[in-house]
Amino acid sequence: MPDGSLLVQMLIGALLGLSVYLPLAAGQLSLATPGFMTVGGYVAALLSTRVAALGGAEPLYPLPWLLLELVLAAVIALALALVVGLPVLRLRGIYLAIATIALNEILRVLLLNSSWTGGAVGIFAIPQPFGDPLGYLAALLLLLLLAGAACQVLAGHPLGRAMAAVRDDELAASCSGVDSFRVKLLAFGASAVLAALTGVLAAHFFNTWNARQGSFDASITTLAFVVFGGSRLWLGPVLGGLVLTALPELLRPVGDLRLVVFGAVILLGPLLFPQGVVTPALLQRLPLPAGWRRRLLP
Amino acid sequence: MSLAPLLELRDVSRRFGGLQALDGVSFALQAGEIFGLIGPNGAGKTTLFNVITGVTRPSSGQVLWKEAAIEGLPPHRIHRLGLARTFQNLRLFDSLSCLDNVQVGLGRSDRRRALELLALFGLQDRAAEAAAGLAYGDRRRLEMARALASSPQLLLLDEPAAGLNPTEKQELSSVIRRLAAELRLTVLIIEHHVPLMMQLCDRLAVLNFGRRIALGRPEQVRHDPLVIEAYLGGAGGDPPPEVSP
Repeated sequence: MPDGSLLVQMLIGALLGLSVYLPLAAGQLSLATPGFMTVGGYVAALLSTRVAALGGAEPLYPLPWLLLELVLAAVIALALALVVGLPVLRLRGIYLAIATIALNEILRVLLLNSSWTGGAVGIFAIPQPFGDPLGYLAALLLLLLLAGAACQVLAGHPLGRAMAAVRDDELAASCSGVDSFRVKLLAFGASAVLAALTGVLAAHFFNTWNARQGSFDASITTLAFVVFGGSRLWLGPVLGGLVLTALPELLRPVGDLRLVVFGAVILLGPLLFPQGVVTPALLQRLPLPAGWRRRLLP
Repeated sequence: MSLAPLLELRDVSRRFGGLQALDGVSFALQAGEIFGLIGPNGAGKTTLFNVITGVTRPSSGQVLWKEAAIEGLPPHRIHRLGLARTFQNLRLFDSLSCLDNVQVGLGRSDRRRALELLALFGLQDRAAEAAAGLAYGDRRRLEMARALASSPQLLLLDEPAAGLNPTEKQELSSVIRRLAAELRLTVLIIEHHVPLMMQLCDRLAVLNFGRRIALGRPEQVRHDPLVIEAYLGGAGGDPPPEVSP
């Protein structure tokens, strides 16, 4: 069922878009979203294939163990985010971008060269908690709704405003009482957790997992979700993730030209929509009910 | 002057590489006064603001807030103690609405209080507009509203009259005086417009090349020979040396 699985991949794209969006909303560029996703995926792959007691041999992998994986992946990703964020986020500037590229590479090389991770081949035959893509669709949709709702609450919350203030002018934010280090660390931590949770579900869905998930290419692709969709509203990266994940598949009929078309979209997007497709101005123009508009705009 | 000062600088110095931006500056602010800081460009006035608000650490010396040392604390901690500032070159949160700019200063969601603060500066009708779209004078006013949001005890204004027209400058002067009285604020103000400072400030300190060269009431400072020299470059002193061919 190719349609169902494309939808699942689109939802994964949307979640990764949100993971890049969160630190960006506080002015921080993290390129480690695929890295944290890889970590989440390995937590799932290792636990479900190596720990027999967890019921990996059963026809359907038990959901409580899936929850355990999600919790464990979140904790590990958060710890990693703290290790990187604690020293780096005290600085003002683009240091997080540099540090997260390094983190991705360290994770990739470690996972690629360790025997317990299956080396370059990775881990195969990851058990399935759901019988068909519909189950994954529901689980990922639930995660996306929760993450979207959290972003929506954030937009009207002092923490969300503090993030925007740090993005606009970090020095002025500090002088207005915002603990910018704490705000940046929270945003980066949330980004890491969201990516790791997505990775757990993705590993089960793909049935196989390896270190290539966290390549530099993947960092740029997830960044493109936000550049294309827009970084001012959380709906932007969701749309970017959905569209840019679907596009290469939908373009299959044009054969090899699809990569050219895909590249053109990524190139033309920022030219035609420098703020991304989803902007506050767009929401003002759309024929939405007034209540919706007020709620979606910060 | 028997009361303990609200803010006291003790021998504050700051060096940037080979530049001595501040050189042993000391003075004390009493609660409730409007205190002016004047001096030629590059005298170290803004550096002094940065040291007081935690943006820059002093190389040596002490900053005392109600007799407790605060130098080295991060800016947000100093802000929470009750010191708020504006910036010489306006630093607003441009993508946020005027209301949200003030709410960041408040540190909580309180629409009513934020609107009150905007109304204090005649900006209540602009509440929903993005700060980036405001006219220059309104941007200055919004920055003051944001600074006042935290109900500070000390307000530090860095050249609040810069770029304002003469009418606006007069208005600003009365606004500052009214706010200081109504909100029981202490104000530390940097400003180049000397006539404005002479009529607004209770006391003035004059900086030149990082040193405090004068301190006192406006009429004392006005006639201080060191101040006249700093501003006019040695007028009344020795005649310039003749250049021999």
